[in-house]
Amino acid sequence: MNAALRSFEAQWRARTPDALQPIREQAMQRFLKLGLPALRDETWRYTDLRSLAAQNFAAAACDFGRDFQASPPLSLVDAEQRAGTVALVNGCLPPPAAMPTLDGIEINSIRELSKVDPKSIMRFFEPASDADQRRWVLLNTALFTDGLYLKITKAVRAPLVILHVSTGDADQAAHPRVIIEALPGSSATIIEHHITQGDVAPLSNSNTHIALRNDAQLEHYRVYATGRGATQLDALDIHQAAGSQCKQFTIALGGSLVRSSLDAHLSQPGTSLDSYSLLVGHEDRHLDCVNIVTHAAPNTRSRQTARAIASDASRVIFNTKVIVKAGAVHSDSQQSCRGLLLSPQAEIDTRPQLEIHADEVKCAHGATTGRLDPDMLFYLLSRGLDRETAQSLLVYAFLADVLTGMSVSSARSAIESALISQLPESQLLRNFR
Amino acid sequence: MLEISDLSARVAGKEILNGVNLKVNAGEVHAIMGPNGSGKSTLAQVLAGREDYEVTRGSVTFEGRDLLSMRAEERARAGLFLGFQYPVEIPGVNNVYLLKAALNAKRKAAGEPEVDAYEFLALVRQKMKFMQMSEAFLSRGVNEGFSGGEKKRNEVLQMLILEPKLAILDETDSGLDIDALKVVSTGVNSLRDPARAVVLVTHYQRLLDYVIPDQVHVLSGGRIVKSGDKALAQELERRGYDWVLESRVA
Repeated sequence: MNAALRSFEAQWRARTPDALQPIREQAMQRFLKLGLPALRDETWRYTDLRSLAAQNFAAAACDFGRDFQASPPLSLVDAEQRAGTVALVNGCLPPPAAMPTLDGIEINSIRELSKVDPKSIMRFFEPASDADQRRWVLLNTALFTDGLYLKITKAVRAPLVILHVSTGDADQAAHPRVIIEALPGSSATIIEHHITQGDVAPLSNSNTHIALRNDAQLEHYRVYATGRGATQLDALDIHQAAGSQCKQFTIALGGSLVRSSLDAHLSQPGTSLDSYSLLVGHEDRHLDCVNIVTHAAPNTRSRQTARAIASDASRVIFNTKVIVKAGAVHSDSQQSCRGLLLSPQAEIDTRPQLEIHADEVKCAHGATTGRLDPDMLFYLLSRGLDRETAQSLLVYAFLADVLTGMSVSSARSAIESALISQLPESQLLRNFR
Repeated sequence: MLEISDLSARVAGKEILNGVNLKVNAGEVHAIMGPNGSGKSTLAQVLAGREDYEVTRGSVTFEGRDLLSMRAEERARAGLFLGFQYPVEIPGVNNVYLLKAALNAKRKAAGEPEVDAYEFLALVRQKMKFMQMSEAFLSRGVNEGFSGGEKKRNEVLQMLILEPKLAILDETDSGLDIDALKVVSTGVNSLRDPARAVVLVTHYQRLLDYVIPDQVHVLSGGRIVKSGDKALAQELERRGYDWVLESRVA
């Protein structure tokens, strides 16, 4: 057993049991049995966790000593444009008095709810059949302090911001947990914004579970804007019922090691998922993104658009898989992954995969990685643009496919701005906005 | 205006141009014709400054300046314009943005102030109307989703706005129906001026019914094998390229 595993076990033993104990116990035992994922595990082959495994982790503290909402480094939505903000510090919920009251979104503590109405919450903790590939989620289930349960009950226009603040030392770990349930016919926009206080922060092992009931609509963002020394392991699960629509944006702009996964289940007919990923490798950042979309019912539709940019000595990995289960006829899926290398030391690995067990399906995938297109560059130069402007313009254009999909215009421009500052020729790029 | 002497060039290690000599004076329209693979497009790209095309011999002067020592962007700002045979699509880069950036780059090089945004838009609208292009193209990405004919019109639109001294049009007529051909020809003719010159690279004679050239050259095997006036184009149309090539051998 490695040091990390031992330290997580010690944390497990030290904690006080709560109403979720049976589920937590089961998850912890399984996690301890499986251990940390290693390179030999299919979806972890690009990310080496050995140095992480050699560390001892303590539980990160619930530190509400600062008003984090007042100074996030990246403001995605102006305060007056938001439905509200919930700030989680190291995965801990704010005191009930600090929770906003919203028309159309009920905000609850998972722990509190598990005491009074365990049934309503237990169903979100059913261990997945592929839990072996999701060991960090098992650990999250065992160790999360408290979590946020959002129930969307009607159409809500203004976005709700969940600010995940990670604060403390690198030898600590936090396990933020969020459940978002959208009731039939409801709609909302939820922005999960991950930040750290300073460059170094506790390991953040976060999990978000989204359940969309019939005809619900959700636009969900997760934005990693963490410090340059931060480690983020984030898993997102989406379960969609008939007629529901989900638009999901994953934007990776920060951190040292970021592992981001998306597991989407189009479980009933007529569901639709649009997933967008913008992965920005910068300095020596390691960014590993794994998407698995399962079409389990007829007439389901998914679109995955990923744009990866790697500069300096960064490495970006984008693995995506579409599974069409038997009987999921007329499934319609597209995977488009494009990578742009901006330095000779940078590396991008993309791997779109398809696993089809049904007839009459439409599944397309494409992956390209390269430097700036010489034909495009020559065209712009031949019109008199100087080289730097032409290159910057092409980089900017490369990102457009993801950015233009965003409905929250302030989030788009804030993300654009943050992203541009991490690219070469950032001063020039600002002119194109 | 343009003087090409003994120009030879290689593309991907293969010799494509093999001693081209050509002189174009201000006020003239020259047509360069020739069979497929004769080096017409390579010549156009070399003149515009494509870097992966390696010049192995010869010289080119443009208004007395050594063209080959200038970078592509410098050539453009000095007044050279290439209308592409296959204009590339650049999604995400707005068509009008590019036009404006191109015009301002040229003005800046000439020591002129940047164009006023309002005046610029008025100019673009006027030229688009002239080229019979829908204003919908204003908001599109560069050539994004344009048909072949629309791309060619867009090339001529750019040319009209940039008002180059020397326009090299690489098969701007190919893929156009007769109406579009007329529009494009009108655009090219509107640029005819004693101070400017036009080089038309074309495979067919039909463009030359609308844009009457002063001189016609036949490029074959990477060199100009025959020159004449517009009657040469008509003869080529009648007798084919083999006729020139055979008569040369004989």
